[in-house]
Amino acid sequence: MEEAGAYRLVKGHVVRASDGRAPALDLSVTNLVVFQWIGMLLVIGLFFLAGRRYRRAPLAPPRGIQNALEAVVVYIRDEVVRPNLRSERLVRAFMPYFVGLFCFILVLNLLGLLPGMHTATGSIGTTAALAITAFLVINGLAIREVGIKGWLHHLLGGAPVYLAPIMVPIEILGLFTKPFALTVRLFANMSAGHIILLSLVGLIFYFRSIFVAPMSIGFSIFIYLLETLVCFLQAYIFTILTAVFVGLALGDHADDHHGHAVSAS
Amino acid sequence: MDGYGLAWLAAGIGCGITVLGVGNGIGRLAAAALEAGARQPEAAGDVRTTMIIGAALIEGVALFALVVCIFLALKG
Repeated sequence: MEEAGAYRLVKGHVVRASDGRAPALDLSVTNLVVFQWIGMLLVIGLFFLAGRRYRRAPLAPPRGIQNALEAVVVYIRDEVVRPNLRSERLVRAFMPYFVGLFCFILVLNLLGLLPGMHTATGSIGTTAALAITAFLVINGLAIREVGIKGWLHHLLGGAPVYLAPIMVPIEILGLFTKPFALTVRLFANMSAGHIILLSLVGLIFYFRSIFVAPMSIGFSIFIYLLETLVCFLQAYIFTILTAVFVGLALGDHADDHHGHAVSAS
Repeated sequence: MDGYGLAWLAAGIGCGITVLGVGNGIGRLAAAALEAGARQPEAAGDVRTTMIIGAALIEGVALFALVVCIFLALKG
């Protein structure tokens, strides 16, 4: 570790004072981090507001923001978590994770659509961090529930033992491609929309003509609305895929091994 | 044409072929899901969920290919 005072600030970048290069461990607060904090505050604040009303009047009909959040939570519980995590104990234990995941990604996606804001999920670092937590949840939960032996047996993918030299590397690869696909999917979907918007608006500057503007702005509005849909869809897909992968990793050792067709891709 | 030009060419062509494959895949998936939903409207909800998962996994494979294309394009 370099001691304090070894760094300087040059044009808003933290560099080493000795040679002016980037520090070995760059922990500077970027705008991505700030927007994640804003997202966290929004999610925590909204759920705090809704939760306070439940505590004050548990049996009153839900109202306002409480109603909206209840719809989201119930939808995630009934449509996403319950069909995949089969036991009710696990559903209760992991609802906070899945609701948090959905709301956090959704809020970050939607924040990026406001003018002057930044899409934190449009950077591969943020989505990779989310996927790493998903990886830990998938495998940690599988090891805790079926035991380390069951988890290792799962690496066989339901094939006979003599196929282990082929199946085990494929399944180990599958373990890592799942979070990688989650990472790239969210990152690519969120940044692709922004790049299209940038190119459409950029056409006006490229042709230097005011007559391009109506076409350009019309298409931009269309893409913008499409992106609003994509925000919800990608948050949902990230959540449901995490839930599906958790369900596959837990496995139902009695009946279904057809799920492996999905886990291999 | 130098190596960088070839890399950009490969990235562009690869991107196009990837989109062809994925468009075909997701199109077939959506067609089958619509057909199933039209035949059995009561199962439409389940079919839609399964379709979205399948579409997401197909898209995942496409994204792997696109990442290769991006790496090729960034060589320049």
